[in-house]
Amino acid sequence: MRDVWEIEKIKEVLPQRYPFLFIDKVLEVTPQERKVICVKNVTINDYFFQGHFPANPIMPGVIIIEAMAQAAIISFSVVKPDIAREKPDYYLGKIEAKFYHSIKPGDQLIIHAEGEKFLSEGGVVKVCAKVEGKIAATGRIIFGVKPRK
Amino acid sequence: MEGKVEEKEVDLEKIKGEIRKIVMEIAELSEEELKDEADFTNELDIDSMQVLEIVTVIEKKYKVAIPEDKIPTCRSVQAIAEVMQELLEKK
Repeated sequence: MRDVWEIEKIKEVLPQRYPFLFIDKVLEVTPQERKVICVKNVTINDYFFQGHFPANPIMPGVIIIEAMAQAAIISFSVVKPDIAREKPDYYLGKIEAKFYHSIKPGDQLIIHAEGEKFLSEGGVVKVCAKVEGKIAATGRIIFGVKPRK
Repeated sequence: MEGKVEEKEVDLEKIKGEIRKIVMEIAELSEEELKDEADFTNELDIDSMQVLEIVTVIEKKYKVAIPEDKIPTCRSVQAIAEVMQELLEKK
């Protein structure tokens, strides 16, 4: 059976909140394969469209990266649930990203995150964001995890 | 017996050479800067995120998982090569 996460469960893991929470739902969780599939529904109400750009709304690349990074945190949390439960701080170490086409209001971003390596103190995650099956962005995210003081 | 010992030494050198290349690329170091015994943190300014990346690339290359309890010992090219040699011998 597929493990679907609604927003309340996502908020238990991700420390981000409006206007910086970019995962709406988790469609699939496969801890054995360190994989998760997440959804970000892109809408004209997303705050960044006010300025990016007024006459031509396009989801900023940095926000796509942030959404992919949040999916990476979720993948970490399913492999290291004991650490995630303590609500640590997550911080970005390095990002490699490629963008293939623009994302607009109305698009549904499906983000695949697959852990390459997880330690208690960080992780390396391969990510891929698709819209209607077409790859919009790919990346590799390295992040650190530190207990909150 | 002598031949066996020599073979192991050759393996370690080969592994070291490959690890050196990976570390040089990730940490942006030249061959002259990267000594095998140099401590990543204290001598080469390599941070924990870079170590994590180095370990991940090495794992992919050799198709082995470096256990988490071995990571703190991965503080130099020499140290990683020794960890890898041990893991590859068990493989």
